[in-house]
Amino acid sequence: MAPTLPSGDQASDQDNWDNGRLARKRQLLTEIVLRNRLTALVVDGDTTCRVLEQLLLRSYGVQTHGVDNGRDAVALIASGVKFNLIIIDMILPVLNGLEKATRQIRDMGVHCKMLGVTACSGESERQAFLAAGVDVFIEKPLDPEHLVPILRELDGQ
Amino acid sequence: MDVVNQLQRQFIDYSASLHREGFLDDQFTQLQKLQDDNSPDFVVEVASLFFEDCEKLINNMARALEQQQGVDFKQVDASVHQLKGSSSSIGAMRVKDVCIAFRSFCEAQNREGCLRCLQQVTHEYSLLKNKLQTLFRLQQQILAAGGSIPVVE
Repeated sequence: MAPTLPSGDQASDQDNWDNGRLARKRQLLTEIVLRNRLTALVVDGDTTCRVLEQLLLRSYGVQTHGVDNGRDAVALIASGVKFNLIIIDMILPVLNGLEKATRQIRDMGVHCKMLGVTACSGESERQAFLAAGVDVFIEKPLDPEHLVPILRELDGQ
Repeated sequence: MDVVNQLQRQFIDYSASLHREGFLDDQFTQLQKLQDDNSPDFVVEVASLFFEDCEKLINNMARALEQQQGVDFKQVDASVHQLKGSSSSIGAMRVKDVCIAFRSFCEAQNREGCLRCLQQVTHEYSLLKNKLQTLFRLQQQILAAGGSIPVVE
């Protein structure tokens, strides 16, 4: 579909947000920028959230990798890739973020900082996620106020 | 210069009204701050990602609620939950608030309540999409006139 010039009309605005540019942008957003030693894995099935969380981390100079399901997260870590920080959602496609993915990652002997970042807000959900092995429970959205102290702590180690 | 100032004032006023009316919250401001010269279209592109997700999720909810043999409220709730997460991540406050109410109706397995919320969430999503398109159009006009996008706190 050829891009059209912007006008006041809604349909042309849609054309402007054409899929080609968006795909390339997604690619650029997942590009790894090495600015310091910290590395992070973001596990979230929702594209918007995953892209935003990765971008937030990158803006603080963290090298990030993103996966959209629990199975890929476990496989990646099982293959030996090391991360300083894992950001994981509670509800994930394929391998559930709570019972399966988080527990499996901990059972593999991975001791890095894990942040459970989820839209869930109940106390029982918080307890369950902490019991499964995350160090911190954060209700979405992940914001600098919660993230920065954690990054400072990791950077200091 | 005058044209740019006028457009920038329009942009600031429009941004402020969107915040005042609850369409956007502070999270959206944080996203705008992440936008820089290396990624000048970042907010526009993230917004379109969000609207793509929204449409998919709303369709899932509608399909699940249409089931005559019995609604799978867990399925509806899963979509609402996801929408709650992404709307809060982008700062779409009114959409998020409807999702919170929606989840209570899912929990109570109240089909009528869910259908009302589905209507509401569809309405809020359309409103937000139009408002953001207007905001982004203003941005484009400022840039085309040679100005820079003001940061609205």
